[in-house]
Amino acid sequence: MIEMQSRNIKNEINEKIHDEILRSNLANFAQQYPLARAKAYANVDSIDELRDELKNMKQYAVNHIEQLADEFESSLEKRGAKVLRAKDGNELKEQLLKICRENNVHNIVKSKSMATEEIKLNDYLQEKGLHIKETDLGEWMLSVAGQHPSHMVMPAIHLNRNQCAHFFSDELKEDIPEDIPYMVQTARRVLRKEFLQADMGISGANFGIAENGAIGLVTNEGNARIVTTIPPIHVIIIGYEKLIPKISDASKIMRLLPRNGTGQRMVSYLTMIDGPTPVIREKDGKMVEENKKLYAILLDNGRLQAAHDPVMKEVYQCVRCASCLNVCPIWSTVGGNVYGHIYSGGIGAILTGLLNGMDEFAQFSDLCIGCRKCTTVCPGEINIPDLIQELRNRRVTQKGLSTPEKIIFQRIMTNRKIFHSLLRAAALGQKPVKSGKFIRNLPLFFAKMTDGRSLPTIASTPFRDRAETLLQQGPKQAKMRIAFFSGCNLDFVFPETGESVVKVLHDVGAEVVYPQQQTCCGKPIIGAGDLATARKLAKQNIEALETAEADYIIVACPTCGETLEKSYQELLADDVVWFKRAQNIAAKIREFSSFIDEMYKKENRMAVVHGSQKITYHDSCHMKRGLGIYKQPRELLNAAGNYDFVEMTNADECCGMAGSFGMKYADLSVQLMDKKLDGIEATGAQTVAVACPSCMIQIGGGLDKKAPQIKVKHIADILAENIVNND
Amino acid sequence: MKKISHAWQKYLQQGFINKKYWQDFRENAQAASVELQEIKEYKDAIPIIEKIIAETGAQQLGAVGEDDNKNLLMVYTALQKQHKLYTDKFAIVKNAPQLDIGFSTAEFGVGETGSVCVDNYAYEARLISMLPPINIVFMDKNNIVNTMTDAFAVLEDVFTEGYTGFVTGPSRTSDIERVLTLGVHGPSRFILFAVENAG
Repeated sequence: MIEMQSRNIKNEINEKIHDEILRSNLANFAQQYPLARAKAYANVDSIDELRDELKNMKQYAVNHIEQLADEFESSLEKRGAKVLRAKDGNELKEQLLKICRENNVHNIVKSKSMATEEIKLNDYLQEKGLHIKETDLGEWMLSVAGQHPSHMVMPAIHLNRNQCAHFFSDELKEDIPEDIPYMVQTARRVLRKEFLQADMGISGANFGIAENGAIGLVTNEGNARIVTTIPPIHVIIIGYEKLIPKISDASKIMRLLPRNGTGQRMVSYLTMIDGPTPVIREKDGKMVEENKKLYAILLDNGRLQAAHDPVMKEVYQCVRCASCLNVCPIWSTVGGNVYGHIYSGGIGAILTGLLNGMDEFAQFSDLCIGCRKCTTVCPGEINIPDLIQELRNRRVTQKGLSTPEKIIFQRIMTNRKIFHSLLRAAALGQKPVKSGKFIRNLPLFFAKMTDGRSLPTIASTPFRDRAETLLQQGPKQAKMRIAFFSGCNLDFVFPETGESVVKVLHDVGAEVVYPQQQTCCGKPIIGAGDLATARKLAKQNIEALETAEADYIIVACPTCGETLEKSYQELLADDVVWFKRAQNIAAKIREFSSFIDEMYKKENRMAVVHGSQKITYHDSCHMKRGLGIYKQPRELLNAAGNYDFVEMTNADECCGMAGSFGMKYADLSVQLMDKKLDGIEATGAQTVAVACPSCMIQIGGGLDKKAPQIKVKHIADILAENIVNND
Repeated sequence: MKKISHAWQKYLQQGFINKKYWQDFRENAQAASVELQEIKEYKDAIPIIEKIIAETGAQQLGAVGEDDNKNLLMVYTALQKQHKLYTDKFAIVKNAPQLDIGFSTAEFGVGETGSVCVDNYAYEARLISMLPPINIVFMDKNNIVNTMTDAFAVLEDVFTEGYTGFVTGPSRTSDIERVLTLGVHGPSRFILFAVENAG
């Protein structure tokens, strides 16, 4: 498609970053949404129980999808409806046009159908000379303006009242004031005419019930009720993923969807229609009552393939509440129009990939930074970032990597010596690979300075060269033997923090060893979808760590920790021997701060103190939502001698680094960072602690430019300081 | 009037309804902008409705649900003395675009959400409740179920065909600047008479 090839996502993002209206609408919403959601759930005992119920029900549905489709079809046909199935958009369009021609339809009103947007039905019907109107206020305004929805539930959230008034005025050829109630009344008046003259109503469905053939429609405006009432013909366009087994299963959706979507305990209208219903019309001067003609078209368009895909079938757990967008740091910054043409955000990337094709997916799939915030709210408990990653992997398998990626991953990264010489060369200022494309595919590094952020330099002496002397300073009689896996950042960017880690470990009585053969954990390569190369790195690291014969393996980078503990087993799942070795390594992995927390508790070193310096803490995404560690760092800070711990707002929101994302989308990354810096500054803290070296690069770089009086420190550095003080 | 069931009460009385859910219902309904009127008898609605008609200058009214509820028939008959009120389905349909107030019924309420379940199999019932700017609804105050789970358990028994659903306050939108505005396509006022001695 021409439209697709001409996309320049970076330019689009840049435009959104500078769209003041959009930014302020999104910022307000981001503030209101969590409160509204919490309030809506206040009278529910356990949100997670409801989420489990929904997930289980939807999993059952996808595992029996053909059976449900047959049952839905026969339930509806028994009641007098006609049911069709369309394998794709083109087939659906032809079927629908045939229905229109057979019934002499001219005017169509439409409500609640993203599936028809997905296949661009409106354009098609208009080309065929039919008059079709969107009836949802937001969608109607957008269709008038020639724009696309930027959110699945709040399609026009990117607009303000002045822009809306402008669209109204253009469409209606009258001067419409910038008064919201007036505009709403105008829309009512204009669209009421459309309802009354329509020959056909087209609706989507929030769910379709197999046992009785009913569909459910959720709206606040009530347009779906009118679309399915007045016109004598009703066509339901429903995707397979909306089918559920029983009537009572609908409550499992309805207890979550409104609360999660709009922060309402219930929407104004849940409409359920089962089979043809009566309509009363004037015919030849006489009022007659007859049954409507009811059609349902089950749309496949990639859905059935997804249903039989052992990984991707998880998308069937989506109920289109869009809460994953509401908490997404990227959507909250640039809105929904930088994604696919209809489905936005993380779930949108997945749906676009499955339903609209992988070429469209590939254009914006890296806008998911893997912060996993969406997984904490998704009512269907979908692991959105994992599904996106799976699609990226498949894309790489199918299309291969770009040339610079191929060289870096397959030639440089798999050869530790070459990789590390390159880093040393960079430290000497030789900068042999200064081109942007190269750099962003490395685990961190020498990327260009941006306006809002300094990036750190490569240390002149990496940790690995300091290790030998340092490790000799351990306790005479060690209580345990620990292997330290530094990861690239603590090795080459923050070797002093690596030293702090060792110092703290020595202090709890551990002998520390540093296997020199260790290399990059492989996370950036996994992220890019080159699993074959990642497997090689996994094996190198497993071998290196095995030689240490340690009781524990300590990581002070949660991303490396997650990779070693979880990803290696996934990568090596098909190889019995290597899987077992990965499992043995995983069993020894301990994240630094949670490990020290445990040790200090044993040694009774955790009394809360209030020192003179205020300190706050930023949760790394991988630390909190990847490893589930967030209490322990706070406990350690509360007990840290010189400091007084204070909490910041949105402590667990992504700082914007997110691996190569921070380099590729530098401007967007800085936007996320600025929000984080505001939160830090508001606490009045002189120091912000982190437990993740990537966050340390990002926050440190931002503070350097914007608030140099505030320091960022790894929690290991803070604990190490304390040891000095105790001496 | 055509309904998906004429025996809602029988199903509701299988242990689903309880007066103790009323407080929850009231709180949630009011939070959803339902204008709640608690009355003892149907006839108590008449002066309140007269006041609404006077305040809004309503001229044409349409009403459904009186055919199997003689108390409601009494209310409508009383109103018909002073006002133009259609109860015949063809007359309702013919005049629907001009109606100022629509009167209809709800089967039961849901404590958890403040929603009411409406049986709208009849075309005229749908028009009455959606097209006029004001919808006045009558419901037995004793018919409140606890949660949406219970509400759907009732539907599991009742809903074999037709048109039903839940209404929770008036039609609303926040599509422009997320400012809540009532009365987009449906009514801007949703007035619910909860009748204590409805039986």
